[in-house]
Amino acid sequence: MSILTAEAAVMDLAVRELSFAQAIQEALAIALEADDRVFLMGEDIGVYGGAFQVTGDLVQRFGEDRVMDTPISELGGAGVAVGAALTGMRPVYEFQFSDFSTLAMEQIVNQAAKLRYMLGGSVSVPLVFRMPCGSGLGGAAQHSQSLEAWFAHVPGLKVVEPSTPHDVKGMLLAAIEDPDPVLIFEHKLLYKMKGHVPHGHYTVPLDKAEIRRRGRDLTIVASAVMVLRVLDAAEELAKLGIEAEVIDLRALRPMDTGTIIESVKRTGRLMVVYEGVKTLGIGAEVSAAIAESDAFDFLDAPIVRLGGAEAPIPYSPELEKAAVPQVPGILEAARALAKGHL
Amino acid sequence: MATEVIMPRVDMDMTTGRISYWFVEEGASVVSGQPLFEIETDKAAMEIEAPAAGILRARAPTGVSLPIGSTVGWIAAVDEVFDLPSETGNLAGEAVPRADVAVPIVEALIEAAAPVGDGLIRATPAARSLARERGLDLASATGTGPRGRIQASDVLAQVDAKQKTSRISTSAGLLNAAWLRQGTGDPIVLIHGFGADLDGWRPFLGSAQLERPVLGLDLPGHGASPLGDMLTFNAFVDATAQTLKAHGVTTPYLVGHSLGAAVATALAAGPIEARSLLLIASAGLGPKINGAFLQGFSGATDEATLAPWLRMLVADAASLPAGFVKATAKQRAEPGLAASHASVAQAIFAGGAQTFSTRAMIDRLTIPVRVVHGRDDDIIPDRHTNDLPGTVALHLFAGVGHLPHVEARDDVMRILIEHVRAAG
Repeated sequence: MSILTAEAAVMDLAVRELSFAQAIQEALAIALEADDRVFLMGEDIGVYGGAFQVTGDLVQRFGEDRVMDTPISELGGAGVAVGAALTGMRPVYEFQFSDFSTLAMEQIVNQAAKLRYMLGGSVSVPLVFRMPCGSGLGGAAQHSQSLEAWFAHVPGLKVVEPSTPHDVKGMLLAAIEDPDPVLIFEHKLLYKMKGHVPHGHYTVPLDKAEIRRRGRDLTIVASAVMVLRVLDAAEELAKLGIEAEVIDLRALRPMDTGTIIESVKRTGRLMVVYEGVKTLGIGAEVSAAIAESDAFDFLDAPIVRLGGAEAPIPYSPELEKAAVPQVPGILEAARALAKGHL
Repeated sequence: MATEVIMPRVDMDMTTGRISYWFVEEGASVVSGQPLFEIETDKAAMEIEAPAAGILRARAPTGVSLPIGSTVGWIAAVDEVFDLPSETGNLAGEAVPRADVAVPIVEALIEAAAPVGDGLIRATPAARSLARERGLDLASATGTGPRGRIQASDVLAQVDAKQKTSRISTSAGLLNAAWLRQGTGDPIVLIHGFGADLDGWRPFLGSAQLERPVLGLDLPGHGASPLGDMLTFNAFVDATAQTLKAHGVTTPYLVGHSLGAAVATALAAGPIEARSLLLIASAGLGPKINGAFLQGFSGATDEATLAPWLRMLVADAASLPAGFVKATAKQRAEPGLAASHASVAQAIFAGGAQTFSTRAMIDRLTIPVRVVHGRDDDIIPDRHTNDLPGTVALHLFAGVGHLPHVEARDDVMRILIEHVRAAG
């Protein structure tokens, strides 16, 4: 072994950190490199590098045929993506803000999700929609929503919501390789978050939750940026002698209810923390899955949901924070639940 | 700022405490160091002194189990306008970071819940399933949760308390016994098998309507009974007969499991005028017994070493109730009990064979006798039930091992109810 390759091997063993945005860009580059059918579409993803600088210099590396700036028409862009996927291409369409996917509902819900079924399985729609979502950047009511539960209600779509750079790379690669339409929700506050990301190609399953922390006293299920807040709260809870088990939901459709059920059978207490509006959201689905399951007999307290306020996300920074779960509130509710006060 | 009064830990094992008496009225003034309240634990009662001077506010109720460290009251300054600090506040010793955004989450969650006083039993699903498993009537449990909700810990506390109060004191030579069901008329007497104790019947009884009182007893060297020098099968029978007579039991419906079934048969054939006899996975019908099990079980003391042997008791390991291994391990952790079981195994099942036979006794009985056995019993083979007299009813369960009353609980309970009813 030459000195050079030995050094490379050592470097590879060291933990390499990338930001969430860099991890996405790396996954896109790997997919573009590996498969001619893969191409990217979206508004300002080319020379500008993407509204959140996720696509960066990919247009320089892969050219305008593979990293295509599209006009300001989400419906048109999504329609082209669905059509391309039907012909065997593997498009990745970026919405600047997932809020704008409302303009493309027809293509996502009525076309992409349905065509495999309506045409008797003779076609598939292998495309990925990238969905920057969530509040925290002062985007106000039309640029801050968490609409993932809407799409998770539609059979024919797969909906995932990773919380770490490692997972977003692996899930995006899995999504691009998947034969069906996948929506990957990227919380905008995560883009700058750093974490270990392995080199090269790997995938993370699109249907598996992940236990981020083991604990015996209560189960907290969270998604996207809420996983980080819950983990912070869990550290504080541990100082009070309360051990929370933290489950990163990751997959909304299909949802990995088995992991949650097994956990609740051990802890007897469940809290669900998510940024979408509390009513009729992720928390309702997780709670119902537990109420319907074998874990019901093990529940020793009411289920608690912490979700977004029943209001559009406000512009005022203080109100914006107050509109979605934050660490102190999570801590307070988890403590009350674990201590039997609820 | 008011001073918080907390439930102290007064002994190492304590996880909850109960206030038995407040020496100071709500709103009355106290001086620091004055006796404030008395707490009761399993072991002791103790006076707790006031941590500060002032006015006692928000006293916790008496007679309710409260977790160690929980707030049981506040001592406010005499001139202080006292508002009960919110549950979300910074309790003593607990470092809760300040919220940078005030969200009254807990209050909102509590407000969302239903009001008190609807007269219904408020219990969690976990408490309900535990109560079913342990045969506890939820109406008898005290809920310590919000709005008096009964939680799993309350059921366990109630089961514990019940076991303590229902133990009939053991005078010299007598075995430990407990009324598992109160009532009038001749009782059903339950005699457990090797390595078990009377509490083992509780899941079987569950919430069944038996129409009769039920007495359980611990065989010598088991549960809370002494072993003494009772190291023969006949000594077991004599001690059991004496214990029944001491409790005024003369004409019971005898039910036994395994070794206990053999004892029940000998009682019915000898000193006790039984009305009927129900034998579950009975020993004494033939010579064979699983020696490896007896040895392995007797030598095992913790969950890990017990589990494989306990799984041998049932045909389908999944039918072993949750907590069975844990409960058995806990019970065997009691000083001397494992050694005592080993002595019994050695004396009564010497060399891995049954040293006694009840086969001839059954032939002589004229009372109704039923035998329940599992086809897949790995401890005592089902072929021992061949050639029983024609007057004996035989219930053989396929896919059931050595614990028919656990593995086919509902069926065996139905058989018991019919049997007792038919015997009149």
